[in-house]
Amino acid sequence: MAAAAAAAAASVASQAQAVLRGRLCDQAVVHAALRSSPDTNYSKLKYLVASSVSEACNNSVLLLGPRGCGKAAVVDMVLDDLKKEHPDAISVIRLNGMLHSDDNCATKASSDDNTEFMIDMLRECGLAHKTIIFVLEEFDLFAQGKQRLLYSLLDAMQSLTSQAVVIGVSCRLDADQLLEKRVRSRFSHRKLLFVPSSVDSLQRLMEHLLALPEDSPLPTKYVREYNARSIFNDKKFKGILSSLTDADATTSHILRFLVVSYMDIDSGLLSMQSFMNALSSMQRQPKMDSLQDLSILELYILVCMNRLEDKEKSSYNFITIMKEYKSVQDAYKTSDKYSHTVCFRAFEHLLDRELISFADNKGRNQALEYRPVKLLISSRELAESLKLNTTCPAVLQKLLDRERYM
Amino acid sequence: MSQPVTPRRTTRSSASASPSPAPASPTSPPKSRPKPSPRRQLLAAAAAPPKEDGSPADALLAELPGRRAQAMDLLRFLAPAPALPLMLHGGAATGKTRALLLALRHLRPSQRLVYAALRSLPSPRALFASLLSQLSATPFSTSSRHRVPDKPSDFVAALRDALTGVVSHGEVVYLVFDNLEVVRSWDKGGQLLPLLLRLHDLLQLQQVVLVYVSSATPDAYYSMTGSVEPNYVYFPDYTVDEVRDILMHDHPNPKLYSSFLSVALKPLFRVTRRVDELSAVLEPLFRRYCEPLGDLKAVPDEGMKRRLFEHVQSHLAVALNETFSVPMRASMDEIKDGGSAGKGSAKRQFAGKDGLSSELEFHMSVSAKYLLLSAFLASRNPATLDAALFDSTGGLDNRKRKRKSSQASMHMKDTIVEEMLMKGPGTFPLERLLAIFQCITSVSEDILDEIDCSDNMASESGTTGLMSDVLLQLSTLCNSNFLSKSRSCPLEGSARYRSNIDEDLALKVARSVNFPLSKYMYRR
Repeated sequence: MAAAAAAAAASVASQAQAVLRGRLCDQAVVHAALRSSPDTNYSKLKYLVASSVSEACNNSVLLLGPRGCGKAAVVDMVLDDLKKEHPDAISVIRLNGMLHSDDNCATKASSDDNTEFMIDMLRECGLAHKTIIFVLEEFDLFAQGKQRLLYSLLDAMQSLTSQAVVIGVSCRLDADQLLEKRVRSRFSHRKLLFVPSSVDSLQRLMEHLLALPEDSPLPTKYVREYNARSIFNDKKFKGILSSLTDADATTSHILRFLVVSYMDIDSGLLSMQSFMNALSSMQRQPKMDSLQDLSILELYILVCMNRLEDKEKSSYNFITIMKEYKSVQDAYKTSDKYSHTVCFRAFEHLLDRELISFADNKGRNQALEYRPVKLLISSRELAESLKLNTTCPAVLQKLLDRERYM
Repeated sequence: MSQPVTPRRTTRSSASASPSPAPASPTSPPKSRPKPSPRRQLLAAAAAPPKEDGSPADALLAELPGRRAQAMDLLRFLAPAPALPLMLHGGAATGKTRALLLALRHLRPSQRLVYAALRSLPSPRALFASLLSQLSATPFSTSSRHRVPDKPSDFVAALRDALTGVVSHGEVVYLVFDNLEVVRSWDKGGQLLPLLLRLHDLLQLQQVVLVYVSSATPDAYYSMTGSVEPNYVYFPDYTVDEVRDILMHDHPNPKLYSSFLSVALKPLFRVTRRVDELSAVLEPLFRRYCEPLGDLKAVPDEGMKRRLFEHVQSHLAVALNETFSVPMRASMDEIKDGGSAGKGSAKRQFAGKDGLSSELEFHMSVSAKYLLLSAFLASRNPATLDAALFDSTGGLDNRKRKRKSSQASMHMKDTIVEEMLMKGPGTFPLERLLAIFQCITSVSEDILDEIDCSDNMASESGTTGLMSDVLLQLSTLCNSNFLSKSRSCPLEGSARYRSNIDEDLALKVARSVNFPLSKYMYRR
């Protein structure tokens, strides 16, 4: 009986996880909160586009803000709403700067036919009282090169007969400064700025996302018990949230955090511990991690390189490092004296791990031993990792410390 | 960045595999295998549905020793259909791909796996073609396009078409991009990388799960215009105990092997922590270890352990100092068809053999040896000293050298030494090489004359014999990477050469022809 009950609980928990995962991965759910409040970018954009649709005029707007703040989601939501309201007065053309900037520019460059075609098309649509909405994602990439696409698009919109809205979406806050003068003068300088949300609103968002909806197929008793937990008002939780937002307060960052943390639910209920675990796993430092993975010989080479850098050598290569290594080995008579080739392999491992790199791209045909290299880690990081490494010989620590305090 | 490293790597693994197949312990990650076939098997297995229903996670964990936390994370991240993108990162040979493919196999019902190892798809076009062809294998595919899209926009459109076809049947598609780090060195990698990383946003398909596998750390993918971050799973290198477990797996005589590992593993582990390299070194060592034993099934007692340890100790010291061991025959082949060998591999072999294999023979003609030596001298010595070193007496003008060094201030000397270290071997034109070659061959004839007073005629003919097809020898040496031909000098217009051999090898060659090389080397 008990086993069956436990299995049932587990399946409920996994069902709940599936529901939560669905909610977290659905952009519409994530940004639904924007829809309700009056003074958001959502309502501004909707008003702008809706008015230009109903008044049959041209318009252009830029949505700017860092990645992961919901710009594209807002555009999607607005367009969905408008499509419902005016089912046959809108047609949407989506262009992505990453995909289309070259192609379109290339076709534009070949002839002016396309421009004329576009003007004709805009006129036709205008006569049919149909608004074309251009969504230009990665707007800054369209601004590279000659900006022919932008120019022809915005120029075509100057005529009275056309009826179009251009929505540019970019993560570069200076995207409008990238425009040429001729393009900028045709652009209406409407900008909607997206900023990462405040801690409070993020907390509300988390509560919203991690709540199980009442109409889910899960047992109502479980849902009620789950939703009753007031983990979000805990002091500790606020601490976690603030340390998370100190690094990155965009919505997508929070989403990743939630995805990591909700997975640890074993009992089916949220626990503080899972949030803590998720936080620590989000705050990994990949360089430090890979420093911990090094063998003793590789650490020796790093320390030698660090010594060379402290001696203010302008540039050095593997041969110089080996000289230093030899002198260290001669001075301390350690057991870690290895041959040239073995050291070279360790050196290559370091290159592979990208803890060191070649200082320049010149001399590709030169032998690797002679190409100048540089460290990609700071001496502080190296010292810290030596301290954390339990197998590290004391000599290494000494070698690193001595040069720092002498 | 990783470009110059790659060819070396392949030669290393193939060379280590050539004498005897790697000790294919089934637990070692696929990276360690010389051939991609095991990975391909895994792929096929991962694409197929699991045989028995509800195979517990324990089976998966048993196949991934030392990777428990990572496997559990993978299962959680990948499990139900809608999932955010995922990136697996960690050093080479840490079992990233293997863990991923096994976890995907473990995850149950209808799922499709589209796997693209970017290392074997060297251009965006090849990548696009591979992805689309893997997807269009389904009978329901509506987008059986014959033309491979080479523009990103066409590709994304085609990919979306193909994926929606699959997804609409309720299947979950896992798109796996392996070896993501190599894209950075591609021609258009700067444009392709954001495209691949933003595929989740571009496709907007819930049932498509993107997985990236990279040996570079996540910060390698940060771009100027902000980045979309996937969730990360970090694969650390194996610890000593984990490596021991992996190596012990399925060994016929675990007692003997564990006593061997307790001796050999720790010191080797200080040098390298990569399982593939360790297993390659340990395998011949274990054969050595077993040599005194008649019966390989024997369970060793304390006394025997000590005896075996003393036996293997010297071999262990040797093994610590070589990157890979090649039996004599193989190294000969390497020299003969050295053209196929990767850059510097032959050189490294010799250097690796340094000190332990005095029996190593050079199957090289005498004139080639002299040519090699003269190239070495031409690369190491400053051209201005040629006249002093190779004057008619053939000896070295000690007086002149001394004066020179006393004149130079210490500081100047230091900077020159520094420069030489940084620049490596210098380049030289063909004329200088031939001049030095002529000098040293005549010198050696002189020495021979002094020693056995052979008649003049023979030595004369010998010299001309040595000079006969020098250019042929030169191209042979270039092909086998002892010399490298660098870009032609813009002023002179002729090709310049550089010697790739190190001093140890040069001395060894000199010894084999009884040439007093050290007399001619300019010491700073």
